[in-house]
Amino acid sequence: MKSSLKNMVVVLFIITTVSALLVALVNNMTKEAIALSNQQTKDAAKYKVLSTTSDEAYILCDTTRLIGDFAINVSTVAQKSDNAIIGYAVEAPSITKSGYADRIILMVGFVEDGEDATINHVEVLSQKETPGLGANMTKPGNSLEQSVVGKQASTLKFSVTKEGGSFDALTGSTISSRAYANAVESAYAGYLWAKGRLETDKQSGNDTASGASTTQYDNNTETEPEAQKGEVENE
Amino acid sequence: MNKLQIISKGILKENPTFVLILGMCPTLGVTSSAINGMGMGVATMAVLIMSNIVISLIKNVIPDKVRIPAFIVVIASFVTMIEMLMQAYVPSLYASLGVFIPLIVVNCIILGRAEAFASKNGVLDSALDGIGIGLGFTLSLTAIGAVREVLGAGSIFGFTFAEGVMPLLFILAPGGFLVLGYLMVLFNRVAKR
Repeated sequence: MKSSLKNMVVVLFIITTVSALLVALVNNMTKEAIALSNQQTKDAAKYKVLSTTSDEAYILCDTTRLIGDFAINVSTVAQKSDNAIIGYAVEAPSITKSGYADRIILMVGFVEDGEDATINHVEVLSQKETPGLGANMTKPGNSLEQSVVGKQASTLKFSVTKEGGSFDALTGSTISSRAYANAVESAYAGYLWAKGRLETDKQSGNDTASGASTTQYDNNTETEPEAQKGEVENE
Repeated sequence: MNKLQIISKGILKENPTFVLILGMCPTLGVTSSAINGMGMGVATMAVLIMSNIVISLIKNVIPDKVRIPAFIVVIASFVTMIEMLMQAYVPSLYASLGVFIPLIVVNCIILGRAEAFASKNGVLDSALDGIGIGLGFTLSLTAIGAVREVLGAGSIFGFTFAEGVMPLLFILAPGGFLVLGYLMVLFNRVAKR
């Protein structure tokens, strides 16, 4: 078609308007479904990192700690049959070290082990690392996963082996591996924080429970995400 | 030109990677393994077929001087909608192909075919051109990915046969350029006969 100023302006205006409307429409239509499917993935990961399923266990309480713009979410997962706590699924980003492209978000499963906590399993929730290199952190049984799974969290040094840490870096991906170690570190910090919080609650709430190995939490009283969301700590 | 030729020229005579040399950014970026190359190729093919159809439908109402911005807006919104729909309703497919979708928006194969073919031909021919070029792109990317994976990681389609003895160079960017260059020479040498 021959161009004139008028038809160029009109056609471009129509195309951009229609496109914008369609994109907005689809966005509106899919927003809830996307949020739902993201939530489902996240929930599934919470059970997976503690080697259980949603059929056998449930989430007893969720607490969120904000550090600057970052949120560390700690979910306490308990057995359905006897309400015993299985462990803690902690969702944490790499706070001080970004990956090659973006921050890495991990779900780390901690199981109480005396005074300490053992890392049961780690799931990568979000990463944008190079396919074939840093993105290998999502593969089951990779060297990073093997460096932490089954280890006591307090014995870990949160950096790669060539810097004296305990994380066996992925081949050719030191930056991604550092970010991974950093995310595990923030998850552990989140775990310790949540643990301390629960202990305080327990002591102030009912003294009789101290010393009991399987404490039963009431679902309603322990869930207080609203109150904790306002709590901002800068580090 | 008969219909079959439109498809076959996309694979051989106008192979986007080895002959037209279009879309080099995703080619070098994602071909670190065969399965990644294939994923990118398939996702591109799907978008290419549909964008060719849409462009050939609206080509008569777009003034010549603004056709490129018009195509870009159409393709970009189109890809964005596909991405959102995939993420919402087929999350498992999105999990495997999702990372490639944003790369497709800026892929010059899509714009190149819109400009060179779909804006001059009918709907059916444009769709066939999308299939042909898409197949050509998929096969080329899979080939590059397979070679890089074998040489760099000692595995093929995720199946490992020689762990830790292969030069990592081929997975890294320089290896991508090397493999692309040699495969291009080989392809054109064979195709010229």
